[in-house]
Amino acid sequence: MSPTRRLVLTLAAVWVGAVAVGSIVFALITFPPQPASNVSQSIQDTIRLITFAAWPIFSLVVIAIIGTLLVRRRAPDAAPLPPSELRGNPRLAGTWIGVVSAIVLVLGIIGTITLNNEQSAQVVGATGGSANIANLEVQVIAQQWQFTYRYPSYGGFESAHLVLPVNANVTFHVTSLDVTHSFWYPAMGVKADAVPEHDNVVSAQPLQIGPYRIVCGELCGLWHGAMSDDAAQVMSASDFVNWAQQQQTADAPIMKYLPPYSDTYVPNPGAYGS
Amino acid sequence: MTAMAVTARPGRPLSHVLLQWGMVLGIVGAVAGFILGAFIGGHLVPADANSNNSNAALIIGYIGSAVGFLAGMGFLNYPVARLLGLRRPTEADEAFLYGEDGGVGRYFRLNVDHKVIGVQYIVVIVAFLFIGGLGAMFIRAELLQPQPSYASAESYLTLVGLHSVIMIFMASAAIIGPFGNYFVPIMIGARGMAFPRLEALTFWLLPPAALILLSTVFLGGFPTGWTGYAPLADESVRGMDSYLVAFALVGLSICLSGLNMIATIISRRAPGLRMTQLPIFVWGVYITSFLGMLAAPILVAVLGMEALDRIGKATFFVPAGGGTPYLWENLFWFFGHPEVYIFILPAFGLILEMLPVFARKPLWGYRVGIGGMIGVGILSWFVWQHHLFVSGIAPSLRPFYMFSTEAISIPTSIVYLVAIGTLWRCRARFTVPMLFIMAFLFNFLIGGFSGVFLSDVPTDFQLHASYFVQAHFHYTIMGAEVFALIGGITYYLPRITGHALNEARGKRQFWVMFISFNGTFLSLLAVGILGMPRRVVSYDPGLQGLNVSASLFAFVLGASMLFFLVSLIWDTLVKPLRSRLLNPWESLGNEWKLPQPIPVHNFSAPPTGWGLPYDYDRDERRPAVLGGGIAVPEGATE
Repeated sequence: MSPTRRLVLTLAAVWVGAVAVGSIVFALITFPPQPASNVSQSIQDTIRLITFAAWPIFSLVVIAIIGTLLVRRRAPDAAPLPPSELRGNPRLAGTWIGVVSAIVLVLGIIGTITLNNEQSAQVVGATGGSANIANLEVQVIAQQWQFTYRYPSYGGFESAHLVLPVNANVTFHVTSLDVTHSFWYPAMGVKADAVPEHDNVVSAQPLQIGPYRIVCGELCGLWHGAMSDDAAQVMSASDFVNWAQQQQTADAPIMKYLPPYSDTYVPNPGAYGS
Repeated sequence: MTAMAVTARPGRPLSHVLLQWGMVLGIVGAVAGFILGAFIGGHLVPADANSNNSNAALIIGYIGSAVGFLAGMGFLNYPVARLLGLRRPTEADEAFLYGEDGGVGRYFRLNVDHKVIGVQYIVVIVAFLFIGGLGAMFIRAELLQPQPSYASAESYLTLVGLHSVIMIFMASAAIIGPFGNYFVPIMIGARGMAFPRLEALTFWLLPPAALILLSTVFLGGFPTGWTGYAPLADESVRGMDSYLVAFALVGLSICLSGLNMIATIISRRAPGLRMTQLPIFVWGVYITSFLGMLAAPILVAVLGMEALDRIGKATFFVPAGGGTPYLWENLFWFFGHPEVYIFILPAFGLILEMLPVFARKPLWGYRVGIGGMIGVGILSWFVWQHHLFVSGIAPSLRPFYMFSTEAISIPTSIVYLVAIGTLWRCRARFTVPMLFIMAFLFNFLIGGFSGVFLSDVPTDFQLHASYFVQAHFHYTIMGAEVFALIGGITYYLPRITGHALNEARGKRQFWVMFISFNGTFLSLLAVGILGMPRRVVSYDPGLQGLNVSASLFAFVLGASMLFFLVSLIWDTLVKPLRSRLLNPWESLGNEWKLPQPIPVHNFSAPPTGWGLPYDYDRDERRPAVLGGGIAVPEGATE
């Protein structure tokens, strides 16, 4: 057996072992984020998928570099290397480019399919409207440095904490009153920039009841780090209806002071220019 | 000391005396320019209830100070003299401008010798690295606790802003500034750059930019980080103006440097030296230069628009006035994404240039490697909206940007193929630069694979703007580019100064740096994936353990960097050991064929017969040092 062939076989054996061990480890560990919604579930699946796809290439490169340096160094009097190992090998380079391109293409296609599924889910949610508990719309209004949530299908009352019914298709309409913020609900896998005068629409279906945390994901000034909703909740549908009706009743006297519900708000039109 | 000696010499032309005192005159000019600019700015924009004309005074004052500094340094002498038809520079003037008198003074004034400029760049880049690194240490100290401790929310944001922007300044020129300016003309057999005065200008724009940026601490800082997102930037205090002017000066420097490098590499090559025979480092610089020349003007333009927003309520980026924040985001990232390849492409070139020297094997797949770098350069223009996947614009374009971003891994993987091909069955010498090359390959691999998670739109919804992104780009910039910088300094120091760094000390420093770097940023990859946003002073207490781990590793990393700095100063200035050999690495590179020190104009006559410098396959035969009568003897006049 030629030295080159032996080196290739040794490294290939180590690589197969690394891929096998890695795959077992990845199958056993839980990937973040916690799958509290259909979106975070698919994000978790995608993170796992990319990890599975990336690990063989990552380990191949590391083993090729370390292995070729450590496993076998040529003796000083060894015969000169053939040009394909010395100057370049167009066929090998072509194969490499082809394999990497194929992996990229597959990952891209899977990503696009996942994305399309999430976006078509959004369309269902967006057309659902009305006080239908299965299709809830919530407006997220960001300002320095807090989020306010408005429930148009319950008379447009406002809440300082986001409360959602479990298993509903929730559509978030995210907007801002001042600078760019980002509504980030890590457990739901939802992140959408809150941009003034823009209605940014995303959706998710919460699957687990529980308390959650929402943070701001875009640097928005002094108290960006403290801009969070630490008392967000997902509750059962009946609890949610009770809560919403309570809020609606409690907010009834002040509803006339709130601006009418709309996609965006300009609270202070004289603040800039003109 | 040198300045005094020269001025005291009788018969010295006044212009030389003025140039000799350039730094002092520059500071005088900067103060005068600031006062004049602030006066003009204050009167240019009439005060009314709705506008804050102190922004105009400050911005125009800053510009005045930069112009005044450069005028004091002597940058206007030549163009003004030519414009007015005054005398041409004499040979003595040119000789003085090239610092042919030698001495330390030439490093502190306007000098157009590309080797002096290269050394000036090394000093300033290392200074930026340590100023920015100090900021990183303060940030990690603050994040030891989940609630604000010693830093207020305001000072924390200023720290984040200063750390990021000064590091962007550093990274924009970290490889191309020191090694590009010093070695590209030598590698292509040229007597200098195509536009030597322009080359000096690209360097001397950096010190005023850094001082203007740092002056923000007296003006309330800026709360936007390096991305300067509007409309937050519109409503910020006056410290924001420092960011705008300083970044624009650096943008100008990047653009002019690119232009100059392209002109030099196209027009100044030695006779018979084809583009396909250039060292791969020159190719890295060449491709980067196109990115810099074309991308930086967009940055300067968008900063100018923001300045108009702040001075005159132009509302380019404010919806209430008919503008949109998306305009800033698009223009900024249209510059910003090529910018990150401006950081890394020269580092690719430098790594692949050093690799054959220590693998003792020719560069494997030279042409396919160049193709890979060109591919990265072209694709870098088509990916910028991957920074805006969650921004809410153009959802239908997301698949395109996902594909283009993932496609960048194809040409990048070619660089790895070339590295692996070169290492294949090599006879590696594990010197300090070789260790840094290996670390570069490992760190950039993690940086690249974390990038795949970010390029995928569904996972980006979770990871965008988290510490995962922060750790991702620190792996590519700190883990790759800065490791290449330190490897490059170690490799080229004997060529530049005649002194080598202590090898054993260098290896110890390397291992501490490598392990603590990975400890820091693996911890941060983890906190990012667990949902910690970037740029926050308070965070979820459940993530404190990982943050403490990142901070402790970061302190060790900082100490290892400090150790490198002390080592560098010790081995070059305090106790310089003359390198045993002119060419301690036994490199076949053309830049090692010249005598030490390299004469001012490099060559007395154009060198001939320069091919690819990678013929290491003649089984360890000693390289032909000082070959072929191409070098002028030391001190020869021309």
